[in-house]
Amino acid sequence: MRISRGALGLRTLEVVLGGLFFYAGLQKVLHPYEFAEAVLAYQLLPESLVGVVAAGLPWLEVAVGLCLAAGIKRRSCLLLLAGLVAGFLVVILITMARGLKIDCGCGLFFQRQVGLAVVLEDLFLVGWAAGLYWWELLRSEKCGPGSIVKAAP
Amino acid sequence: MSRVWRQDLAWAGFILGVAVLFGLVHQYPLVRASWRGELAPRLSQVRDQRRAEQFQGVKTINLAQAYALFQPGQARFIDARPADEFAELHVPKALNITPAMVPAGVAEKVAGLAKDKEIVVYCGQVNCDLALKVAEKLQTLGFTRVMAYIGGFRAWDEAGYPADTGK
Repeated sequence: MRISRGALGLRTLEVVLGGLFFYAGLQKVLHPYEFAEAVLAYQLLPESLVGVVAAGLPWLEVAVGLCLAAGIKRRSCLLLLAGLVAGFLVVILITMARGLKIDCGCGLFFQRQVGLAVVLEDLFLVGWAAGLYWWELLRSEKCGPGSIVKAAP
Repeated sequence: MSRVWRQDLAWAGFILGVAVLFGLVHQYPLVRASWRGELAPRLSQVRDQRRAEQFQGVKTINLAQAYALFQPGQARFIDARPADEFAELHVPKALNITPAMVPAGVAEKVAGLAKDKEIVVYCGQVNCDLALKVAEKLQTLGFTRVMAYIGGFRAWDEAGYPADTGK
C-alpha cells in the first residue's frame, strides 16, 4: 500500500496536535486543584461550576488528543479542538479587556500569563485544527464512499 | 457535505459527553466541593499542603507581619513579579527580581545586601508561587533571613499600604 506524501504530512500534523493536547490535558488531570485555581482566577464562572469545568475540561483534552493521535474519528476531534480553542480565545480576550493579570492555566511546557502571546498561540492552534479539518473533509470527498473521483482501473 | 458535517458534529458531541462525564466521576471530590460552595477553603488547604512539601524551609509571613517589617524599614522588599507589573506599582524601594533572574543576573542587584539582612519577597496574589521560588533561591545564595509574604501585592494594595511607581 502506497501512502502519498500529502497524507503522511496530514497524519503527522494530526499526531503532533493530538499529542500536544493530550500532554496539556494530562498535566491538568494530574494537578486538578491547581487547574481549578486557574479557572477560578478568571472570575467568569460561579464557584459551583468551577469544579465541573476543572474536572471535565482536562479529560476532554486528553480524550480528544488521544483519539486524534490514534486516528480515531479524526474529523470530529479536529472540530472539537477548533471549537475548544476558539472558546479559550474568547475567554482570554474577555480577561484581557478586564485587565486581569493572571496565569492562563493553558498547560503545556511552561506557565504564562494571559496576554497577546497566548492570543497568538490560540489563533495558531485554531488555524491548525480548522485547516486540518478542511483538508480531511476534502480528502473524504475525493476518496470516501460516494466519491466523484473514480478509482483507476 | 452537510451529511458528513452532521456526522462529524454528532461524534464530536459523543466524545465531548463521554469525556466530560468521565472527568466528573474521576474528580468527584473536587466537583462536590465546588457545588457545595466549599471550593475556596479546599483550594487553600491543598495549596498549603503542596507548598509545605515543595518549599520546605522557606519561612512565610502574612500581610500584618509584612507591614510590620516594612514600617521601620528594617527589611528589604523584593518584588518577584514580571517587570511590567513591577513598573506599574510596587512596594516602595522594592527590588524587582524574578525567579528567572536568580541566580544568573541577580548578583549585582543583591550585592549590597548583607547576608543576614531581613528580606521579604512577594508576588502578585495569594495563589502565586513566585515569591516562594525567589525566596528559596535567595536562601541557596546564602541569605539567612529571607521570608516570603504569601498574601501578594494585591492584598497589600487593597489594604491601602504604601505603593509607588518609582524604581
